[in-house]
Amino acid sequence: MKSIKEVLNENITGLYFGNRVLLPFKAEILKVVIGTNIITDFSKNLDGASVRVTDFYTEIYFYEYENLEEELSEYEVIKLIAVQQGEDVFNFDNHIPIELAIESKHKLLIKPIPDDLLFFE
Amino acid sequence: MNKNLLLLFFIVLISFSIFNSTFAQDVNNAKDTITNVEKATTETKHELPHTAMVIPFVVLLIMIATGPILYSHFWEHHYPKVSVFLGAIVVFYYSFFLHDTHSLMHTLTEYFSFIALLSSLFFASGGIMIKVDKKATPLLNVAILFFGAVIANIIGTTGASMLLIRPFIKVNHDRVRPYLIIFFIFIVSNIGGALTPIGDPPLFLGFLRGIDFFWFIEHIWYIWFPTIALILLVFYFIDSRNKDSKSGKEYSGKIEFKGAKNLIYLAIILVAVFIDPNVMSWVPDLSPFPIGIREIIQFSVVFLAIKTSDNEILKYNEFNADPIKEVAYLFIGIFATMIPALQLISHEANILGDKLTVGMFFWSTGLLSGVLDNAPTYLNFLSAALGKFGFDINVAADVKEFMNTGYIFLQAISVGAVFFGSLTYIGNGPNFMVKSIVERAGIEMPSFFAYVYKYSLPILIPIFALIWLVFYF
Repeated sequence: MKSIKEVLNENITGLYFGNRVLLPFKAEILKVVIGTNIITDFSKNLDGASVRVTDFYTEIYFYEYENLEEELSEYEVIKLIAVQQGEDVFNFDNHIPIELAIESKHKLLIKPIPDDLLFFE
Repeated sequence: MNKNLLLLFFIVLISFSIFNSTFAQDVNNAKDTITNVEKATTETKHELPHTAMVIPFVVLLIMIATGPILYSHFWEHHYPKVSVFLGAIVVFYYSFFLHDTHSLMHTLTEYFSFIALLSSLFFASGGIMIKVDKKATPLLNVAILFFGAVIANIIGTTGASMLLIRPFIKVNHDRVRPYLIIFFIFIVSNIGGALTPIGDPPLFLGFLRGIDFFWFIEHIWYIWFPTIALILLVFYFIDSRNKDSKSGKEYSGKIEFKGAKNLIYLAIILVAVFIDPNVMSWVPDLSPFPIGIREIIQFSVVFLAIKTSDNEILKYNEFNADPIKEVAYLFIGIFATMIPALQLISHEANILGDKLTVGMFFWSTGLLSGVLDNAPTYLNFLSAALGKFGFDINVAADVKEFMNTGYIFLQAISVGAVFFGSLTYIGNGPNFMVKSIVERAGIEMPSFFAYVYKYSLPILIPIFALIWLVFYF
């Protein structure tokens, strides 16, 4: 299983199906911004999103969207703050800002958020 | 699906107009009539609409105000259908009951002018990137906000907001707080744009009705300047207490600008505003075709901007056409449903006459502009003020005479509509666009009501009351 940093350095892609994204690392997700929706509550009883970490990937379900492909424009990305599972979540240096871009055929590009892009933790 | 809906609406509207102008010319039998003319020379009498026909307008405005807050899921998916359906009720009524196709065509022409300007400014400014690498200070923030207020009159509050919100946030990266964004909305997205018809949509609607382009700067600057100064003073006081900036970061002091060709597009849009048969006699009048040379140029700029804007800049701006699509759909309904409201208000104002004071116009236009959209509210009260003097909003000559005889009313309505548009998120189109951009950056914004009670009521209302006391009491 790759770490978040390895995935970012090696340009490994993730997957998306409808309203579900699969990330090829194990992570704690602290915050997700999709469109104008700022999601910080990942409890499964509420609207928003839920996160599940398996032995092979981390998956996020976005309840308010049926198909992410239809929701995001060509120039939009999903932005999130992730912490490698096992690392100290309380240390801000371990918080990694990541952008997810929807590609065709269920491919999900995973990149570090560039300095140019506006994103606040 | 939505595109088809839009196309169908326009086809039906134009078909009704052609059908009625061919087969229904002789309807003049009403007791109450209003003058409804296209040119000052040709007068046609039409029956007043039934009061109940205001209901679609009221329903639409209430839904615009409450939809995004109370039933956002339904509203997000169905607002185009709601807007077009409510508009279609009025179109049907005017076509088959009043046989007044002139009002419909006039409104359609006005809609195209309105949306051509807004969409061209939106797409052209979306392809421009400004990066400011300077340390945020209260003085620098005041300078950016004042600069935004000035250029809002040249590229519109929409263009100025789109252009400056990102560099403004970026400069304040280490000390971003909601008040920074709220003051940006107050000054750049609203009050700043009170000096020209390009500045804010209501004034552009006034310009389309016949008010001179430079009337606004001539009659509003001496209210605009102290208002902006007062708000900036309050901002400076609050911003000086924000000491959250992280030390240690080095700044190059550079200001980077990209997207020069889109500046040319902006210049073309601005020049096109004047390309109107009423402003330049050589410009061909394409009526009864509902768009003119100006709109053709501005729509061409939209096309060019979409095709040629730099992808890197669009990505940096996270460009999304949804905000302008929303404005386009909602204003189809607003423009269509407000026809009876405009005519009835004008009629009532004729009757009420002297009872309506300038202060009443200032507060009524203002408060309604804050909770409804300021563009239709402006037209409603302009219609009422013209009616008070026995003028008709549909007659350009009447509007021009009103500019001189009733200038204080026109000033109060213009100031009220533009300034009070900043009272809520829904008061003016750019307010929502700014909120949307900021939230996409992960910044939590105050709720609709928190915006009002934390910022609008304590900051704006006292300043507006002062304007009223000095100029309209």
